[in-house]
Amino acid sequence: MRMPDPDRGIMARRGELAARLRRIVGAQWVLDDEAERRPYRCDGITAYQATPLLVVLPASTAEIQAVLALCREQGVKVVPRGSGTSLSGGALPLEDGVLLVTSRLCAIVAMDVENRVARVQCGVPNIRISEAARPFGLCYMPDPSSQMISTIGGNVAENSGGVHCLKYGMTSNHVVGLEAVLMSGEVIRLGGAFQGAADGELDLIGLLTGSEGLLAVVTEITVRLVPLPEAARVMSMGFASVEDACRCVGAIIGAGIIPAGLEFMDRKVLNAVASLLREEHDPRTAALLLCELDGTAAEIDALIDRVRGLADQAGAIDIRTSRTEEERERIWRSRKLAFSAIGKMCKDYYCTDGTIPRNRLPDILDRMAELSRTYGLDYANCFHAGDGNLHPIIMYDAARPGDLDKAEAFGADVLRACVDMGGVLSGEHGVGVEKRDLMTHQFAPADLRQQQVLKCAFDPGELLNPGKVFPTPCRCAEFGRMHVRGGEMRFPDIPRF
Amino acid sequence: MTPSSDPVVCRPACADDVADVVRAACSKGQALEVAGNGTRRGLGNPVAAAVRLELGGLDRVHFYEPDDLVIRVDAGVPLAEVERMLAGQGQYLPFEPPRHAALYGGDPARATIGGAVATGLSGPRRFQVGAARDFVLGVDGVNGQGEAFVAGGRTMKNVTGYDLSKLLCGSFGTMAVLTTLTLKVLPAPEAERTMLFPSAGLAGDIAALAAILSRPLAVTGAAIVPDGDGMAVALRLESSAPGVADHAARLDGTGLPPGRVLAAEESRAFWARVRELEALGAGDDDVLWRIHQPATRAAALADSLRQAGLVSSLMLDWGGALMFCVTPAIVLAGLDTAVPRLRALAAGAGGRAILLRAPDGIRAAHGAFPAPEPTVRALAARTRRVFDPVGILNPGRMTLVREGAEAC
Repeated sequence: MRMPDPDRGIMARRGELAARLRRIVGAQWVLDDEAERRPYRCDGITAYQATPLLVVLPASTAEIQAVLALCREQGVKVVPRGSGTSLSGGALPLEDGVLLVTSRLCAIVAMDVENRVARVQCGVPNIRISEAARPFGLCYMPDPSSQMISTIGGNVAENSGGVHCLKYGMTSNHVVGLEAVLMSGEVIRLGGAFQGAADGELDLIGLLTGSEGLLAVVTEITVRLVPLPEAARVMSMGFASVEDACRCVGAIIGAGIIPAGLEFMDRKVLNAVASLLREEHDPRTAALLLCELDGTAAEIDALIDRVRGLADQAGAIDIRTSRTEEERERIWRSRKLAFSAIGKMCKDYYCTDGTIPRNRLPDILDRMAELSRTYGLDYANCFHAGDGNLHPIIMYDAARPGDLDKAEAFGADVLRACVDMGGVLSGEHGVGVEKRDLMTHQFAPADLRQQQVLKCAFDPGELLNPGKVFPTPCRCAEFGRMHVRGGEMRFPDIPRF
Repeated sequence: MTPSSDPVVCRPACADDVADVVRAACSKGQALEVAGNGTRRGLGNPVAAAVRLELGGLDRVHFYEPDDLVIRVDAGVPLAEVERMLAGQGQYLPFEPPRHAALYGGDPARATIGGAVATGLSGPRRFQVGAARDFVLGVDGVNGQGEAFVAGGRTMKNVTGYDLSKLLCGSFGTMAVLTTLTLKVLPAPEAERTMLFPSAGLAGDIAALAAILSRPLAVTGAAIVPDGDGMAVALRLESSAPGVADHAARLDGTGLPPGRVLAAEESRAFWARVRELEALGAGDDDVLWRIHQPATRAAALADSLRQAGLVSSLMLDWGGALMFCVTPAIVLAGLDTAVPRLRALAAGAGGRAILLRAPDGIRAAHGAFPAPEPTVRALAARTRRVFDPVGILNPGRMTLVREGAEAC
């Protein structure tokens, strides 16, 4: 993965920059020692690593303003980071860049129960919002599987999803207000503490959510809280073939049922999990669906009957339904343990995030089987079936020469196939550095350019999280010239990272 | 309240022609008024342009895949036609887009899906299920230089690159001309029921609604509307048939007095009237406001607006977070002072007052939308400029031109 060449001049000024940053945030909150910087070398995707020039931990919006203003004045790049759980390398440091860590901005500023919103600082872990809202019968619905650790600021940067987003939406559907700092050091406040607060203005909240830290550093977020569902039950449905399971997914949605969660696991995942949980499945089971239904008890009962009927028609061989909260948690445990269980089965694995129109599930699964034979690497499947968001797990051995390259090539081919089937590169993990160079497979040059020019409005110096998301720099300096020449200037060959 | 000038109408039949029109206008630096069928031209600030680019000629339905919950249509397809198609498969647009065309003397049947997305207008269900922007999966558009581009996609989940679809939704054609839209649709609820309760005073009503909305009930409408001589609290439940009955039973004991029940058809008709603001009983020349504020401050704001003699009639939606009110035409003479006074009162309650309908001169002088703070205004201006460097697309529709100029 090529990143922009580090600026040796900036690197040589580490000591001087550290001293100036210490005047802003306090001596102990700038890490310049190699040993202290080392733990920040990567985020959730360990294949990509770089030691940051400096690690800075500001405590307030005002300190972030001062840090960004200084970095802009000095031409120093900045990479924002929450808890570093990104699965696409979004928080991968730069050797000539400051890593801006938000973990000290961790206050729940206001819980407004009557208006059902919470205002929180960016470094608050996702789970803490729901914990704080629970006494009032409310919760923050988006629940990425990293929610114990990942920060709400990181969730906003990545527009995180989770198991329940099929019914309840992604992060962007739950944010009503943002405070952010631009690379210039200016603070912007968007929206407010109620829905519709930004109506009649450009939807800059919608733009910033999912912008992967390239446009601004989000410092404070106001999210919508919703009532905790009264009850939830989960159905575990085994099928003798992957095709039957896919047909059942289509039948459920086609019948007008939107489950709270609809997850798919193949036999390899089941075997891996079974060894940890000692949970047996019918030996004929080739695929398992987990379908969670929530609402009132009467609603759930009615839905369970309908889903059972659809599953029977699709040829389910084994249907189990949770009757207690304990049973529900036990059934979900297999899904929650899937990735660590696979991790125990193989030396290393690589998981990616393509999304397809849901009715192409059988086609993409065929293609994965074919690619597995071509590359000689095993894989397993565990994904959000309801919305067509795939997480193929490709198994390899990093100690075997060439294996990592093969795994990456396998993953890239799966993502290309997703795009070719009308889908996209990323459903919830983001592009980061991992999928950056595949962007040209999904977007034509004009489409990419239309996204990239936004950088010129937010960060014309291209200092904020450069080298992520887009395979080429924006080159804002040329934008002015481009529009002067009207339609003539197209997209000359510009250098890639 | 018809717009002051009537520009030449240009009505292309395909996206390529749209691009040609914009490219030609860009090279001449000529402003374009961008519209669907032009049924809601009174929404937003008046645009001074010699040419009106209407998208109503782009009326192709590209695909509708009910099992995949997705529809892709050209911007000019009438909203009513989209809703009819979806209803045929038991599906709907959850954000309940208001037409509002009748407010401006337009024909609601001609309001387009492109207009629904460009204005971002979202109806009574929005506070529970999301706004227009939450259902736009992808857009095809033409920027201010006449370059066609594609943004987003057609899958339910997509975080690949910046979310331009959301940025363009609600941008009133000031950044790009939308040509094709890909929308997420959902199964329509099997059953609905509305209950009407006599109001116990706005403050009490809003507190009662807040308590109800904090419970896991399938409430998809919570409005307080004029009813006879007084006001009525309206609650809509939507779910499966057993679900609606179940939720209705749970509403007993929430402290509300016994109410009147509106079943299926009656309920639908009631919320269509709420959505189109018919309950306000505004005269053709009255000024209409749309005010967003925290629900907890709506009652006090309503009181102060009434006491100041600025509004004659009002209604609340979204549990109190949205207020529509009427400034009667009689106050018109003093409107130049009435507008800033009302806006100041709304701001004092943490709210924002949008002029939903007012004479051109008033919107041109005060702006249909309250101006954001200077840093945000400047950022919005820069954001528009990278899409439309010459500033030819609906110039001034959202932000008064002089504000934009000072920001750039």
